[in-house]
Parts: sequence; structure tokens; C-alpha cells
Amino acid sequence: MQPRQYQQGNSLWKDARQRLYRNKAAMVSLCFLLLMAVACFILPILPCIANPNTTHLNNIAAPCSLQHPFGTDQLGRDLLARVLYGGRISLLVGLVATFVALIIGLVYGLISGYIGGKTDSLMMRTVDVLFALPFIVLVIVFSLSIEAPCRELSVFIIGHTGWSRETVAPILGLVPLFIAIGALGWLTLARIVRTQTLEIKALEYVQAARSLGLGHLRILFRHIAPNLLGTVVVYTTLAVPGIMLTESTLSFIGLGVKAPNSSWGTLIKEGADRMEVTPELLIFPSLFFCLTLLALNFLGDGLRDAIDPKSAKD
Amino acid sequence: MRKFAVILSILSSLVLVQCGDGKNSAQRFAQEKILLIGNNAEPQSLDPHKATAVADGKIISTLLEGLVRPDPENESGVLPGAAEHWEHDAEAKVWTFRLRRDNTWSDGTPLTAHDFAYAYRRILHPQFGGRYAEMLYPLQHAQAFNKGEAPWEAVGVKALDAYTLQLTLQGPTPHLPQLLLHFTWYPIPRHHVEAHGGMLDRRSTWATPGHWVGNGAYVVDEHRLNHYLSVKPNPRYHRAKELKNGGIRFLPIVNGYTETRMYMGGKLHMTNNVPPEMILYARNKAPQDFCRDPYYCTIFYRLNTTRPPLDDVRVREALSLAIDRHALVSKVVRGAGTPTFSFTPAGAGYTPPTPKAAMYSAEERLATARKLLAEAGYPGGKGFPTLELMTTSRDVQRIMAETIQAMWAEALGIHVEIRACEWTAYKAAQQSKDYDISSSSWSGDYLDPATFIELWRGQGGNNCTGWSNHTFDTLTAQAGACRDAAQRRHLLQEAEQLMLQHHPIIPLYHSERTYLRSARHIRGAKARLLDNYPLDAIEVMP
Repeated sequence: MQPRQYQQGNSLWKDARQRLYRNKAAMVSLCFLLLMAVACFILPILPCIANPNTTHLNNIAAPCSLQHPFGTDQLGRDLLARVLYGGRISLLVGLVATFVALIIGLVYGLISGYIGGKTDSLMMRTVDVLFALPFIVLVIVFSLSIEAPCRELSVFIIGHTGWSRETVAPILGLVPLFIAIGALGWLTLARIVRTQTLEIKALEYVQAARSLGLGHLRILFRHIAPNLLGTVVVYTTLAVPGIMLTESTLSFIGLGVKAPNSSWGTLIKEGADRMEVTPELLIFPSLFFCLTLLALNFLGDGLRDAIDPKSAKD
Repeated sequence: MRKFAVILSILSSLVLVQCGDGKNSAQRFAQEKILLIGNNAEPQSLDPHKATAVADGKIISTLLEGLVRPDPENESGVLPGAAEHWEHDAEAKVWTFRLRRDNTWSDGTPLTAHDFAYAYRRILHPQFGGRYAEMLYPLQHAQAFNKGEAPWEAVGVKALDAYTLQLTLQGPTPHLPQLLLHFTWYPIPRHHVEAHGGMLDRRSTWATPGHWVGNGAYVVDEHRLNHYLSVKPNPRYHRAKELKNGGIRFLPIVNGYTETRMYMGGKLHMTNNVPPEMILYARNKAPQDFCRDPYYCTIFYRLNTTRPPLDDVRVREALSLAIDRHALVSKVVRGAGTPTFSFTPAGAGYTPPTPKAAMYSAEERLATARKLLAEAGYPGGKGFPTLELMTTSRDVQRIMAETIQAMWAEALGIHVEIRACEWTAYKAAQQSKDYDISSSSWSGDYLDPATFIELWRGQGGNNCTGWSNHTFDTLTAQAGACRDAAQRRHLLQEAEQLMLQHHPIIPLYHSERTYLRSARHIRGAKARLLDNYPLDAIEVMP
């Protein structure tokens, strides 16, 4: 009988990575998302892609061709270019707004869970109250109320940096949206983080740290926060599609991106209006949007399966 | 791909039809003789002294009846309404209307000439601030009273007795009966208004659907916000037996694409508007139902002349010249209109002035525009502030705005931002001059050029541009008092010419009306330049 071979123990993260690599759907999704990001952020710089906002009234609603692979829209603008630029804005909103939500939710949840007691109750009841209010309505009211200061800010930035308005304005115009969605999208994350914090706080190593006399901030950010990372990564990946959907909902009802710029939401709205006449205008942007959302969801699921401590080391 | 979409829409419509009793709502409502009609927007107000929108006017015209009513057979004629007959003096300055003795309000109270006098006093009252008060300016001293310069007693409105109303006019007005068709001339129930806050209460709730009192062919039945407003026959109306249908349901559908789709899905008998891009589709799919009528209407942009840089006439003219109206009409509006550089549509015996710009070649036009902008201090658009172009969320207006935004960027190097507003917010912003450029339209209230030109009087409630000019006001006042038709036309032309030189607006095109009307369910409706065919004369067939 051969002596049993002892292998080097894997770290949790390495295990997770291996599990993720084995998940075909998640890996395909990851590749797809990387491809989409490259397409949206790098392709439009190439000269072969038309300017998405140049109208050609002599070439309205043209069918697919070599020059316009997706055809042109109701004002003769190249649909491929519009879809790519739209993707840039949709992805940007998804990432930036999620990041804003992430920071707020993480800090809020950590503090609430760590301090506990009355502070915890107060902070969580506040979250409950915010949860009870209709999200979209809140976002609309909030984004309208911060629109004016944001506009002044963008005038200030354009005035002092000398950047051309055409490149900066579409992004700066989205700042109210970033802030509004981010500032109201952190509720679920705050709850999750708080529960996890409560759990970790009671573990022996935290008690050890405390008995060593370490400061609260050090305990919070060196010993508790890193152990939340897995949950947070999973949740964040799953939150991005929700936030992109919110952006497209707002753009669909005309409150998001300003014309002539487009996001996937506005493109789908314009396409949906004309679906009997020019179905291409609806099909291409929807296809891009749906596939991206699907990929994000697969990736999020894969990450959860890989990182979730309950399924780890099974 | 188109085939696929068609199959999909057929399948989905099959599924829809399969629900319920196998009939779509157009068929079901047709059996009850109820007319389903698309009405563009949720009404702002049913109070005829506060409403200004076309959508409101359509509903009010079914709920109240003026001294005369429109003749379904003849657009330039009128039939007796609340008045049985009328006579005027040789000059057509003093008109005496004899009211029917059997007129009652829908709550049973008798309707008298005092209700008319009360209504006219209310809309003209300086403290009430009726937006459409200028519609009554043909009345003697009405303008002075409206501005607080004359007492009510001086105004040419007298109830000689309960059933005789005498109107004295500023000048000879042979076309007065035409004016009286407009809802601003309708009576309001004095007893009811007094019970709800009184004459001058702008927040009065007398005209809310819950407790409506009117004298028209219909009374309000039910109002569900953003769903519909339905009216049912008024049993106390003097022609109650002559109504051709059993009620009307107005559906506020802003989006023309949605409206057209709803029509195709059997949810409407008549739509308000087919968007240009859907014209070909609508004509192919429902060739018998598609209508394309001439319309007394102009599409234009209002410029807020109180805000820099639009307070500079050179900037305004440059903006106007930089727009290629022919491309706009042929490509964006798909030919359902006529490009224009002047404001009033030709017709009703009037030929609008032709500004120089209309003669320019494309190069001349753009060169002049650039030169003017440079003279105003913005060569090549440098330093030009970002203006806001306000539109309603209506489809045509939005794609028009995007086109013009691109034209300005290309021709002048300036950037405007588009602000798409919901209808009520749009109206409010326009009336408080909280805009830079506003995408607007004006359809005639009566068949006469004055309905367009008088809009730009300095005190006009629907002017909203901040532009006022004393000579212009004098010219229109002279035209109003003029006895000779040819001279009157000439004065109006001169006034319009003057207004066009100052460019408070950018005229774009005269539109046509494209809409769908069910050939199967509707009998009797006819094309009208003013789009004011009496809805009670429309018969609904099962």
C-alpha cells in the first residue's frame, strides 16, 4: 500500500478561482463582457466607425450594408456606431453607479453592524424606510434636484480645462444619473454587509484583535472588511445589470441620456416606436443589451458558486 | 426581418383577439355606439377660460354649446346653437342674439343671456388673467377692460333680457358667427361657478369631472387619469334626440406610434395623428382608413427674446436661416407639409408675405446666417452659450429637434441641448417664459388670418416670446377696425411682414393632418381645415 500523498493545501481564493474556471457559462460570459467592453470603448475610436450623431437625411432608415452593417436610423445615423456609443454610456453608468452604491453600502453596513445596539436599529430602520419608497420615483426626483448644480459643475469643468464640449458633455450630463442611482442603490448591499459584519464580529480572531487593544478602525478595515470581499464581489456583479436596467428605464421614459447621444435604453425606445416600419432599430440594440445583461448574470452566479463560503470546500 | 416582425405582430394580435368574447374594443364599443377617439394629451382644464390646448378644446366643444354651433355639412357656415336666431345692423357692428326659451343647464337650471355675459366678463376680467382673453377683443372696449383701463359696463356685452344678448363690436365683423364657434365664447353656469369659489377664483373646481354642469350635447361621465375621459349624452340638451352616437371616450395618447398601434389593434375608432414614419405603413395596412387632410396649422419655434443671446435679432435670424426647411419637410415630415419662411398659412383670402430668405439659394442662406452670427459676436459659433431647445415628448417634435440640432451644429457651429418635457410641464414653462427655444405649433381658431397674426400682439396671452412692437399692435388694431376687406388684408400682411423681420419665431412648415379613421365603424366625419367637425354628428356603426 502506497503511503498517502499529501498535497499542498489550496488557499480559499485559489479554490474559488479554479471553480470559476471550471464554470463554462461564467467563463464564456466573462469573455463576452471583455469583448463588449473592448468593442464599446475602443472600436468607436477607429476611423472606420461613423460619427454616431451625424445625420444624413438622404440615407434614412437604410437596410444593412457593408458601409452600415446595422443599417441607419430614422435620421440616417449609423446604427452600429450608435449601438457602440450607447453601450459605452450604458456600461459606464452600470459600473460607476454600482461603484458609488458599493462605497456607500459598504461603509454604512460596516458601521451599523460593528457598532450595533441602538445605532444599528436606527440605521437599519432608515434603510427600511428608504426601501418602502418607490425606487424609480426617488431616483427621478433626486436626479432632477441635483441637475442644476451638476450643470454648473460641467460648465465650470469645460471652462477651466478647455476640453471639447462634444467629448465631455455626454459623460458630464450623466453625472446626476450616476449620483442618483448610486446614492439610492446601496440599500440591499448595506443590509448584506451588516449581517456579515455581525457574524464576523463574533468570531474568535476579532475578539483576539480586540483583546490586543487594536483600534476600531483597524479592526473594521483590516480584519472585518477583507473577509466580506467575497460577498461584496458577488453582490456587485449581480447589481450591475439591475442598475443598467434602471438607467435604460429612465432613458426609455426620456429622463436619462440627452439627445442626440444615446444609451441602449434610448435606442430601444426609439426602435420600439418604429418596430413595424424598421425592426432593425429595435432588434440590434435589444440584442446587445440582453446579451450583456445575461452575461453579467451568469458571471455573478458563477462567482457566487465559486466564492460563497457555504459551497466552498465541499 | 420585416417578415418576422409581421408574423410576430400577427401572432400577438391573434392572442389578443382570442381573449374575451373574441371582439376587440373598437367592435365592442361600436355596438354600444360609443366613439373611441385618440386625443393627443390629458386635458389641462375643462374650464373654457383656462384651457388653451387643442385637446382640451375638443372635449369642451362637446360639453358646452355657444350661441351658434358648427354646421357638419359646411365648414364656413354655422347653425343655431343656444341662440335661435340673430340679426345685426347694416355695418355688422351691433349683433342681437335671441336665445332659445328651452335652454337648460344639465342640472336643470334655466340658461339665460346673463350666463353668457357672466362668462365674457370672467374671461376678460383683468384679475382673472384668461390666457385666451384676446379671442374676445373684437368686442367693444374688451381690450381696455382686460387691461384694467375701462369698467365692465363699457364693454359691448348686454343682456337686454333673460333671452336676448346684444354684442357691440369694435369694428364691422361680418365673420362674427365663425368666431363664436370657439370655446372661449361659450357660456358657463353662473350659479355653479358662484357656488365653487366665485367668478375670479382661478382655482375654482366648478369644471372638474366629478360634478360637471354644462349645456352641451354631452356631460362628463368618467375621468380616469391617463386612461380616458368619457362623456355621455346630456338628456337636457335641446337636440338630445339628434345625437348620432351614444357617447365619446377621449383617450389621451401622446405617442403617435402607440396610437397608431392601438388603432391597428382595434382599440380606437379614430386617431389624432399618424407620425410621418408610419404614414407608408398605415396607408398600406389600412388603405381605406388612412386620411391625409389639409390643416390650418403652422409648425414653428418660439424664441425667448428676453434672454441673451436671443435678444439680438441677428442671432435669431441666423438661427432661422441655418435651417434647411426643404430637407426637414421632405425627409423628416415625409412630405406631409409645406416648408415656409412666413407664419400664416395661405387661405381664407390671404396671401402671406414672402420674406427675402425664401428666395435665397442654399449657399446664400447659409452664408448670410454665418455672417449674421459673426456680426453678433459669435464668429463660427465661438463663445455661443449652450441654449436649450424645449420640445414636448411628441415623436415628430423630437426627431425634428434632433435634425435641427444637427443643422445648427453643422451650419453655425453652435450646440443646443434638447429638453423633452411632458405636455403640462411644457405648457407651464412656455407660458412663464422659462425656456430658450420652444418647439411650437399653432392651429387656427377660426378661418381668418387674424387668428395667426394677432397671436404676436405684445399683450397676447399666447405670445410667450417676450417680443412686442408698438407698430405691430397698431397695425393689427387698425385691421380689426377696418371696414374694407382688401385693406384689412393689406394691413394684416404689413403686420406679419413686420413681425417676420424681427424674428421672434422661426417658421418651419405648414403641416397636414395625417390620421386614421375607421371606414367600417364611422360614418359622417369630414375633413375640416380647422379640425372642428362636430363630434355629435359622427355616427358609430357596429
